[in-house]
Amino acid sequence: MAPTVSSATVPFSAIERRLACYLRALWGRPPVLRDAGRRARVSIVAGAIRMPDVLRAETGEGIALHRAAAAHAAAHLVHSAHRFPLAKLRPIQVAIVSLIEDARIERLAWQDLPGLRRLWLPFHVARPEAIPNATSLMARLARALIDPDYQDLDGWVAKGRELFEAHRARLDDPSISREIGTLLGNDLGQMRMQFDYGRYLVEPVYRDDNAFLWEFPENPSTPLPESEPEAVQAGTVTLETDSTIEGDRADQSPDGALREISPPQAVPATEVPDAPPHRYPEWDYVIGVHRPAWCTVRERRPESGDTRAIDEILSRHEEVVARVTRLVRSAQVGHAARLRRQVEGNDLDLDAAIVAMADVRAGRTPSQRVYQRPGRIRRDLAVLWLLDLSRSTNDVVPGTGETILALARAATAVVAEAIAAADDSFALHGFDSSGREDVGYYRFKDFDEPYAEAARARLAAITGRRSTRMGAALRHAGHLLSERRAARKLIVLVTDGAPHDIDVHDRWYLALDAKRAVEEQRRAGSATFCVSLDPGADAYVTRIFGAGNYLVLDHLRRLPEKLALVYLRWAAA
Amino acid sequence: MSQPHPIGQYLIRAEPYYRPTGDEVELYRAAYAVRMPMMLKGPTGCGKTRFVEYMAWHLGRPLITIACHEDMTASDLVGRHLLDASGTRWQDGPLTLAVRFGAICYLDEIVEARQDTTVVLHPLADARRMLPLEKKGELVEAHTDFQLVISYNPGYQSIIKDLKQSTKQRFGALDFGWPPRDAEIEIVVHESGVTADLAGRLVSVGERARNLKGHGLDEGLSTRMLVYAGALIAQGVEPLAACRAALVGPVTDDPDIRDALDAVIKTFF
Repeated sequence: MAPTVSSATVPFSAIERRLACYLRALWGRPPVLRDAGRRARVSIVAGAIRMPDVLRAETGEGIALHRAAAAHAAAHLVHSAHRFPLAKLRPIQVAIVSLIEDARIERLAWQDLPGLRRLWLPFHVARPEAIPNATSLMARLARALIDPDYQDLDGWVAKGRELFEAHRARLDDPSISREIGTLLGNDLGQMRMQFDYGRYLVEPVYRDDNAFLWEFPENPSTPLPESEPEAVQAGTVTLETDSTIEGDRADQSPDGALREISPPQAVPATEVPDAPPHRYPEWDYVIGVHRPAWCTVRERRPESGDTRAIDEILSRHEEVVARVTRLVRSAQVGHAARLRRQVEGNDLDLDAAIVAMADVRAGRTPSQRVYQRPGRIRRDLAVLWLLDLSRSTNDVVPGTGETILALARAATAVVAEAIAAADDSFALHGFDSSGREDVGYYRFKDFDEPYAEAARARLAAITGRRSTRMGAALRHAGHLLSERRAARKLIVLVTDGAPHDIDVHDRWYLALDAKRAVEEQRRAGSATFCVSLDPGADAYVTRIFGAGNYLVLDHLRRLPEKLALVYLRWAAA
Repeated sequence: MSQPHPIGQYLIRAEPYYRPTGDEVELYRAAYAVRMPMMLKGPTGCGKTRFVEYMAWHLGRPLITIACHEDMTASDLVGRHLLDASGTRWQDGPLTLAVRFGAICYLDEIVEARQDTTVVLHPLADARRMLPLEKKGELVEAHTDFQLVISYNPGYQSIIKDLKQSTKQRFGALDFGWPPRDAEIEIVVHESGVTADLAGRLVSVGERARNLKGHGLDEGLSTRMLVYAGALIAQGVEPLAACRAALVGPVTDDPDIRDALDAVIKTFF
């Protein structure tokens, strides 16, 4: 395969997804590609392949070169499992050991994937007639090791080739790179070849800087060029989506911190109410009456966060997003039905025809409605997602390393994306409370608002603080929903625990008020469904929401799918 | 036999090619011996339908296949009254036919059918083994040779399009996956007529492309697609073009994925 020779340079950002798909297909593991901006060579830092935005070579640039580079780096990640100790190796030995290691992992890779050799070969342009200095000899050796047709009379290159081929049976063993490389490095040293590591660039251009192969001492006296693992830029795209691997790696790699690009901010939401306060009654089960105008719901303007957090969630759950979107969409357009007993249609409705026939025989006037035709039943559903933003949502879910809020946000982002893609109407609100006089209500996305950048930014910034006065929030949500025209209305409450507030000490008081609020909404025509993330929720959710109107999640990882299921169960019913 | 048997046309005359990949043949035979309803699970194009055909041939039973779809009603399965000159006439549906005369009834992609349709299978799929024809007022006892088989693809089945537990628990299940490499090569060689070397490369492409399932591809490339690609190559089509036509084009329109698949194909051809 000849590389595409094009004068136009293809920036990495434009082909990042292609490369990621390519690597995933070839090696079956999720690659982590990052944009390294302006650099001369690829580098591998903490398992991530950092690709320069633009790579240049004489023989061609563009996607073939990027692909060659990505494949080479991925081959390293697969086959270069151990790091070499720097020990007392001289710079030239380090360079040559790296070169042999490159040849070794490439050989291993193209034994399985023969096309890779054809991909790499065109970039080996070293010529035997080049002036022999350390750099050119190394480039010639690199070519000799991958290209059997390459003729080179230089003794050192021939020796390198011979040694490498002699070790062919031990290709799996990385120590051969060190053995051969040290030997060849010595030879080159004795040839009095000048070698300046500071200016040395690995050739050919698709190969990485090889810094990751080496174990550096704590204070490297001679830092290798292009090798400092600089702070990873925020906002780089993580293509890793395999959650199991991710879980393992998050603990060790500095990238783990990247998961949360926009950490929950401690800045409180705008305290000035944007709208007049709404007063709602509250049910007191002890005295058996509503306390009129007892709670005050204040709508607050939610903060805006960094939408990259949402993008990151979506790319991490790429598979789930695709599945859920497909589900929602198919449920929407796929609700085909046979419309029976029609006055017009393209088929006889046999049952109706038979009844008509019987009527004719019995001397009665038959019905004209004897046809059927395929049609669709449109759903007419308004859904309000109500997120509990109490402080307890900041608890870390055991085994995941993520907070309940982060999981709820991820799930909401996934489902919202799917519902928005299917063009359904929905709203995304949240609430918290601090006593009956101060129930906060946040609208992240309203019914008439498109689910766009602004709404995503607000969702990215949700934070958990204060308490859970469920009843008041439900009443307000119901009030907002009552203004919608829809055949069916649904409030989906995503919460992590029982209702509680700072000014109430009777554990049943708020729960029974919430139950009352649910009943009031039902009478007003809005159903309420609760998704509880509290494993011990069975004790109270049945009482509040009624049997069949809640879901207690034992396994939080599946939250997005479960939320979609809730939605679809209502949408398709 | 002077009168043609009502389900004689459903008999499979020639032995279908099937390459067993495990103990599925023995399992199925044992299940058939006790007439246990079976559920075949696996991705599309991995050989479920071929397996049923093979088993039907092997057991010498006629096979009635019904492709399920979401607009299918219970009467599409059990039958309906038709109008004729003298009034109405009952016409058995394919399921009733199989039940009466002892065929293997294979419901392909059962989850596509609506849940209220699948419940008509319940009395057939448990110890009762009977089919009530409600509209006709008849209770059909299943023929001793009758067996019910359903297939379903857990990959793209959605959570709303799932079988009820009460349906699922009436069946024994056989899991189908992609055949192991050697078996898959053998299948591609047999079905398409390419050499083992070419089949091996096609299978390599298939294996690598399956890594993209869920990351751009909804389903892995099926064995059937590899056979198609092989068949095109056997017809003299250049391998790259054959793979593009049979492996890439049908599964995706996403340019990034097409490009990645293309590169994967070039890795082996």
